[in-house]
Amino acid sequence: MSPAITVRDLTKRFDKVHALTDGRLTVERGEIHALLGANGCGKSTLSKIVAGAYAPTSGTVLIDGKEVSFRSPRDAEQMGIALFYQELSLIPKMSVEANIFLRREPRNGLGFIDRDRMRAETLKLLEMFKEAVGDDIRPDALVADLTPGQRQIVEILKVYAKEPRIVIMDEATAALDGRQVKVFFDILRKKREEGVSTIFISHRLDEVFEICDHATIMRNGAVVAETTIADTTPEHVVHMMVGDVKKAPKRQLRDEDDKAPLLKLDAVGSAQLDNVSLSVAPGEIVGLGGLQGQGQSTLLRSLFGALPITSGEVLLNNEPVSIRKPADAVHRKIAYVSGDRGPDAALPGRSIFENLAAAILVSERRKLVRAKELQPQLAGVASAFKTKYARMTDAIGTLSGGNQQKIFIARWLATNPQLILLDDPTKGIDLAAKADLFALIRGLADSGVAVLLYSSEESELLDNCDRIAVFNDGAIVTELSGAEMDSFHLTRAAYGEA
Amino acid sequence: MKNTLSAAKPASGSLKKPAWFVAFGFLVVLILINWYLQPSFFDGMVLHSNLTTFLPLILVAIGQTFVIMGGDIDLSVGSIAALVNVVTVSVIAMAGGDSASVPIGLVAGLVVAVLCGAFNGLLISYLRLQPMVATFGTGIIFSALALWILPQAGLAVPDVYWMTYGGTILGVPTVLWILVAGFVFVLIMKRRPFESHLKAVGGNRAGAFQSGIDMSFTRLLSFALCGLFAGFAALCLTGETASGDPLLGQSLAMGSISAVVLGGTMLSGGVGGAVGSIFGALLLGMIGNVIFFAGLPFEYQTLVQGLIVLAALAGGVLVARK
Amino acid sequence: MSETSSNMNSENARLRLAAILREPVVLALFAIIILLGIGEAVSPGFARGDQIIKLLTVAALLGFAAAGQNLVVLAGGEGIDLSVGAMISLGAVIAGNVMDGSNGGIIPAVIVASGVTFLIGMVNGLGVNLIRIPPLVMTLGMTSVIQGGLVVFSRGIPSGNAAPALMNFINQPVVFGIPGILFIWLVLIIGMVFMLRATAFGLSIYAVGANPQAARLVGLPVKAIRTIVFGLSGALAGLTGVFVIGYTGNSFISVGDQYMLPSIIAVVIGGTSLAGGSGGYIGTVAGAIALILLQSVLTTLHLEFWGRQLIFGGTLLLLLMFYGRQKSARI
Repeated sequence: MSPAITVRDLTKRFDKVHALTDGRLTVERGEIHALLGANGCGKSTLSKIVAGAYAPTSGTVLIDGKEVSFRSPRDAEQMGIALFYQELSLIPKMSVEANIFLRREPRNGLGFIDRDRMRAETLKLLEMFKEAVGDDIRPDALVADLTPGQRQIVEILKVYAKEPRIVIMDEATAALDGRQVKVFFDILRKKREEGVSTIFISHRLDEVFEICDHATIMRNGAVVAETTIADTTPEHVVHMMVGDVKKAPKRQLRDEDDKAPLLKLDAVGSAQLDNVSLSVAPGEIVGLGGLQGQGQSTLLRSLFGALPITSGEVLLNNEPVSIRKPADAVHRKIAYVSGDRGPDAALPGRSIFENLAAAILVSERRKLVRAKELQPQLAGVASAFKTKYARMTDAIGTLSGGNQQKIFIARWLATNPQLILLDDPTKGIDLAAKADLFALIRGLADSGVAVLLYSSEESELLDNCDRIAVFNDGAIVTELSGAEMDSFHLTRAAYGEA
Repeated sequence: MKNTLSAAKPASGSLKKPAWFVAFGFLVVLILINWYLQPSFFDGMVLHSNLTTFLPLILVAIGQTFVIMGGDIDLSVGSIAALVNVVTVSVIAMAGGDSASVPIGLVAGLVVAVLCGAFNGLLISYLRLQPMVATFGTGIIFSALALWILPQAGLAVPDVYWMTYGGTILGVPTVLWILVAGFVFVLIMKRRPFESHLKAVGGNRAGAFQSGIDMSFTRLLSFALCGLFAGFAALCLTGETASGDPLLGQSLAMGSISAVVLGGTMLSGGVGGAVGSIFGALLLGMIGNVIFFAGLPFEYQTLVQGLIVLAALAGGVLVARK
Repeated sequence: MSETSSNMNSENARLRLAAILREPVVLALFAIIILLGIGEAVSPGFARGDQIIKLLTVAALLGFAAAGQNLVVLAGGEGIDLSVGAMISLGAVIAGNVMDGSNGGIIPAVIVASGVTFLIGMVNGLGVNLIRIPPLVMTLGMTSVIQGGLVVFSRGIPSGNAAPALMNFINQPVVFGIPGILFIWLVLIIGMVFMLRATAFGLSIYAVGANPQAARLVGLPVKAIRTIVFGLSGALAGLTGVFVIGYTGNSFISVGDQYMLPSIIAVVIGGTSLAGGSGGYIGTVAGAIALILLQSVLTTLHLEFWGRQLIFGGTLLLLLMFYGRQKSARI
């Protein structure tokens, strides 16, 4: 029997950039197959070609041993291939049911949408996740009104509603919490028994080792290894993915009482924050832990003035401050780096220079740009951070995701901040860039900057923070430090059992 | 089958009020004011003449809604109407100018209308031109063609045309038949997958593409539909003026966009519906009526109308945001 | 090794050349040269110096109107100013009545006309940014309000006269056979380019247009910037109105209507994206000149009106086909 899917010699070029130089893949029927690699290695490009969303530059794709050539996602869908879209293919202003059945609406004899049937089938699909979400997702709710995790579940259901034989799950667990992931994996296993092949893409190696049978590993647009999961270890896989990895410098223990806090929160509250009290001293990296979406990002954005604070007090250097908009924060030397660099940081189509200069123009209240003076200064900041770019005048889009993120961090370093708010800053960045980033952050802390770090990966918090405040439902449930800072305590606190 | 045209289950909680709610409220208020200022407002004759005045804009607004729901815009609808008008009257004249030639003229006009719309759609969805500028360009071309076909206003249509349009069919005014037909069409479209796909295309292009919707064809259809409705409007205007005029309908583009927005459809695409646009077009007409009957000095009427329309747009946006 | 690298170099050079040729400014310049050639071939003397200066004078008026439009479009958020035409009419009528034929009234006319239109532009900006009315609709609504106001003000009768000095300045050579309006346009061009490239405000306009959320998250006042560009667009349109009455001598209440859509076209064929965040004024200048030149060539062709319009519309679509195209969903 021929494999469910075979990919040979696949290449893809975007203008001058080779995104994929040697795409190979073999997935058997009823198999969960991991596609692994650092960011920008070509995983997403490969999977989008298989799903018909990109046209390959060259190469062949075989389904059940027969060569296919897709002109659109629809062609791929007809062959039983369904792709979970990392950036979500949902229409925000449409209902859950309309989204799940978009273009495949059940119709009645007159060609009208059969809403009763659509409702019934949506409820049946929602049943699969009932254990994780209960009745929280209504078929007629607007997708725009759902939480990120719920949207991700709808996207997953949209994939399974097509009753596919081959499923590509590209970072399908990114916004899910632990319970949701568990339910999702149960579904994946059940589908495996039914003979469905799954291509599983995830940055979380523990998930890969829990659920997958085989793995294909990519680096720089080419496949470097194919292996059976049982025959390998996470360390070995990481090694194949990135080559050599530098470790972040070990954390030094510091005196607890040597400095007055730079930032002090006293019972800060808002719609999504509940009596948050916390203090951060200069030189300290304080982590915000807990499950996703428990108020960590909200707190960081609120401190930066991008979301409202309705009660409590924020003290900066022992003085109460009122930060109503990001500009207030910038002028108080606070920086905010978001992991969602597309919507939150990138100025698409503009030059690297303009992207770098954006914050310093505000913080220094400049009227004139004076590029001649500013360019060398910003170039200095960026290169201290090993940012690779050709010319300052090139468009930001010519850089890889990791290098873009370095630019957006360098943008803030140029303003000499006293407090840096990091909101899951390594989302979608490769391991080498992550290591650079945390080395830099530790360096900044050592020079007296206070850092608040939220990360969706607990290892990042454990490796890099001096203390971790654990969030649950908008409130800090506990603070971990010293010997308590390990995975066990963090997980226990996150699930509210501290 | 039981649910084909019956009311949908109320999408309670999440969807709240329909998009046309505000326009409808405004409309009721204006009708009451008009009634107060002009006690004969509800007389058959008055209603008939009002509807005749408002009908072309209503039809164009219905078509425009589909284009706007898909995230595009069509500035050429006025020029399409002018071209359809001159084509219709010319074809009728060429076919003999008697009542038997009227249907030929109507069909010819509508074919031209759909072709114009499809041409717009081709340029915008397949050649990917920017919709606003592209339809401005095609509008110039359609107007030029209209001037070429009929350089000066004239060429009367057979009596049967305007008498039928201005008269009644089975005791019901023709214009009311047309309005009802338009309404039914809109309600049918609401239940068809096409409108849902169009909204997906307007609401999230990438998402619609990834869901396998043929975006180019969907957008092309919306433009063709818009052209068709501009054609219907042109045939109504022809029934009103009973002759050809290459400069007809110049205010239709901007008027229809205002009507669509007043009706709660978002210009950015993906949200709204043609029911609201019907109310929006009626609303625009009623504003003009009320100002006329309020006895304002002539020179103030444009200003006050402009202010009220602006206030209605602002009010609609404010209410919809809640 | 050296062979491949030289191949690479020539490949790169070719790509760079292709990129330059795709630059809207270069394309518009090409269009200008071709149109001049056609004009000269059809009617010898078309490309003579004094003829070109006449054309540039007309283009300058459009260039002024399009400058404000350019800023509004660059700042994004579906920014567009359809009230430019009515603002020009308003500026012209105000200027005509303030000057009323006297040279002493020129400065007050400029101040009052651009001041009033600036304020109305700010109302547009506030409507768009505070109430969040879509720009297209807000400025369209404002157009009818201004037109209504003009009807009330002038009762539909042309009123006011240009001061003779203003007319001379705009229509007669000042130095080197070049009329004053062109010098003012040059000042505007330098000012716009300086503002967009060398001032923080200019970079903010691009940032806000490219990604408003990112702009907000570096502390830029997105709404304020998007409001002010409407004010500037109003003021520039009002100023255009002053020049228009200087060009024609007197004004009527719809004198500016003819500039509304061309101001958008000049911006678009000059390479500014209607989505905001990319483009610039040099392109718009080239676009304005190309547009006026096209109209002028079509006039010399002795075609009937419909024929001219047909070619005009067709050329516009052709230009759009070159570079006004949007991204494909499938890469």
